[in-house]
Amino acid sequence: MSATTTPELTLPPKPRNIRQRVLVATGFLLFTIATCIPAIGGITLDIAALIRNWNNGAGLLLQLFTPDFTFLPRTIGPMIETLQMALVGAVGAAIVSVPLTLWAATPTNPNSITRQAVRTVINVIRAIPDLVYATVLVAMLGVGALPGVLTLFLFNVGVVVKLVSEAIDSADHAYMEAGRAAGGSQLQINRVTALPQAWPLFANQWLYALELNVRISAILGIVGAGGIGRLIDERRAFFAYDDVSVIILQILVVVVLIEFVSHALRRRLT
Amino acid sequence: MSGPVGVLHPPVRRRRTAATVWAVVVGGVVVAATAGLQIDWRELGQLPAELLRFGTLMFTDPDWERLPRALFEMWRSISMAWIGAILCVVLSIPLGILAARGVGPRWVRLPLRGIFAVIRAVPEVIIALLLLTVTGLTPLTGALALGIAGIGTQAKWVYETIESAEEGTSEAVRAAGGTTAEVARWALWPAVAPALMSFALYRFEINIRTSAVLGLVGAGGVGSMLANYTNFRAWDTVGMLLIVVIVATMIIDAISGAIRRRIMQGPAVNPGRRLVARGGKH
Amino acid sequence: MAAETQPNSRAEGQRPEAEDTSSASGSWPITLDNVGVTYPNGTVALSDVSLTIAPGEMVAIVGLSGSGKSTLIRTINGLVSATTGTVTVGPHTVNGLTGRQLRQVRGHIGMIFQGFNLADRASVYRNVMVGRFSHTPSYRTLLGITTPHDRELALRSLNSVGMLDKVWTRAGQLSGGQKQRVAIARALTQEPSVMLADEPVASLDPPTAHAVMNDLRRINNESGLTVVINIHLMDLARTYTTRLIGLRDGRLVYDGPAADATDRDFEEIYGRPIQPDDQLGS
Repeated sequence: MSATTTPELTLPPKPRNIRQRVLVATGFLLFTIATCIPAIGGITLDIAALIRNWNNGAGLLLQLFTPDFTFLPRTIGPMIETLQMALVGAVGAAIVSVPLTLWAATPTNPNSITRQAVRTVINVIRAIPDLVYATVLVAMLGVGALPGVLTLFLFNVGVVVKLVSEAIDSADHAYMEAGRAAGGSQLQINRVTALPQAWPLFANQWLYALELNVRISAILGIVGAGGIGRLIDERRAFFAYDDVSVIILQILVVVVLIEFVSHALRRRLT
Repeated sequence: MSGPVGVLHPPVRRRRTAATVWAVVVGGVVVAATAGLQIDWRELGQLPAELLRFGTLMFTDPDWERLPRALFEMWRSISMAWIGAILCVVLSIPLGILAARGVGPRWVRLPLRGIFAVIRAVPEVIIALLLLTVTGLTPLTGALALGIAGIGTQAKWVYETIESAEEGTSEAVRAAGGTTAEVARWALWPAVAPALMSFALYRFEINIRTSAVLGLVGAGGVGSMLANYTNFRAWDTVGMLLIVVIVATMIIDAISGAIRRRIMQGPAVNPGRRLVARGGKH
Repeated sequence: MAAETQPNSRAEGQRPEAEDTSSASGSWPITLDNVGVTYPNGTVALSDVSLTIAPGEMVAIVGLSGSGKSTLIRTINGLVSATTGTVTVGPHTVNGLTGRQLRQVRGHIGMIFQGFNLADRASVYRNVMVGRFSHTPSYRTLLGITTPHDRELALRSLNSVGMLDKVWTRAGQLSGGQKQRVAIARALTQEPSVMLADEPVASLDPPTAHAVMNDLRRINNESGLTVVINIHLMDLARTYTTRLIGLRDGRLVYDGPAADATDRDFEEIYGRPIQPDDQLGS
């Protein structure tokens, strides 16, 4: 390009993104280092021990590829219990989730105090992992299916209420204003306008929760809350990975089936 | 209107019968499932009172003396979650890229996606448990287990993001004479990087919960402490630990969520004072 | 370097080749000789298209969508391979090229698109620097290192389209007209010998469309660049270009000066009566 008569170009000032990027990178690095300091609770990066253990135990993992199908009959009963827990927990949660969701969504609950209260409770419920619920409930109520059902119930309520209330929040509110303009009370308005619109959302999340339940229900038994988890833990403790492999295959099949049915149903309902 | 008015019959909704049949069937299954469970249903009535009793035991006077130890263990769980998330992201990005349509050939894509689906379907805790039995119960192995178990979902998010990116920008870089690497760096990466970073943080949020669970089965961290004190029935300590877990999880969720939102919106541009004063036409 | 000349030009009323004023390698002619394109799924996009464009001409390719315009323009820079026939751009035969040679030729051919095809999350600066890719070794482009010479070229290109004050802005924050201007700057930064435009104004409102077409005409006038524009709007084609090539169903059906094209000619090209949508208005 000819450069004899071109004028000097004036550029706008460059935004100081570099500083921001350096800050972020430094923060990330410091945080990561802090997670590796055992003195304050970080993990010890003993890679050598890891490799040693791996070499010793790799044979066990290979057993996973040789499932022992003679074990299958022993798994049927616990598997059925697993599915029962998943279903009952989902149904109980479905019933309770309807009023809770309506209280947690802005269009159906203009009272911001109660709405925030419900949302906070739901967030607290969601902050506790499923197996923690199961462990504590087993200690309270004893070993068996009841703690398992309660765990699934709580987990489902957390998931469904949060997701459906967010969906209602982002949906169209116009139809509710019409109800209020005609002079209805909040409860009347809810029942007549919001619920019919929300049924597909609910059905969608209930089925989704059922899918999640089956996977979680399979492990609750590890801490004594019923289902096939106890069997997994028992076989694992005996290093009988070929038995464990059968159980895993069973879980895989059931999970895939339920997902298939659930997706088909969800497509038809929404 | 003149003359008598007849009774109005709204049209009969014939779908009702099919729906009712389904409702009865589903209801029947639910009832059978409930009845089949080995639960003493008479106890159910006492349940609220029992829960209340335990609730008071746990939360009226939590064991704050053990708080330092609880925070120490909580940090251990967070560390497990963090390193596990880094490992998971580092593994799943290249694997996910290979599994994306338009990148990897079919004989690579399909088996990869199959492996991801299997890892996804098996509950994370089982994968972790199996790995831990082999590699030992330490926070490091816990992190390793978290990293591997998360690949199923994480890699799926990676290839879904890549496949949904606009093709136009890549075409423009090619048209200007760019190599495939340049297309990936300057057309693809700017488009997918925010989503990938957001998913990485989300993996961290998920891992916080899973690391507590791994602690329950012995990998260390706040879950281990929780399992111990629950065994001792030391309810005041259990209450304190639950509070620690709830508060830490909620704080991390809030911060991580805010960062993720900021990433997806993109940084605000600071035009600098000179530009504001200019105000010319373009 | 002096511009090349083609011995036989079949179209009438050609402009004498314009003097090269700023393009480093001069502007190139384009020749298609019996070009046909059949896609793998069997669709015949182009059949037996032959045309010659002299250096410095500003040509519009008109036709309905599906007439083969997109395919035709992409055979020129090799984004689509010609199944039969030869495509010659300047001294290069494009249709057989692959890899590095193809990228080098593409480096001399600038292209802008209907969807602008910018990396929305990257800055305007980074987007324009894409134009230097084929002239830069890979390690520099991947790391984002730019030479002062490249910087100078990029900034001057931006200045020539009036977008210099947006140089650090994220491309996604610009309006459609501004984005297209940045795309033009990106193409100019290549120091091209040919400029291709695939429906450059189809997504813009009338005033902006006229402004962009004006920019293209100005570039053609000032630097004598060969410009080929795909466009389906008759009035813009007639107003801003000097030669029209009409395609219908993949075949060449019209080739003549823009000033001589009547409404009847357009009906022939479109294969149907003229509709209001075919004109932009102002």
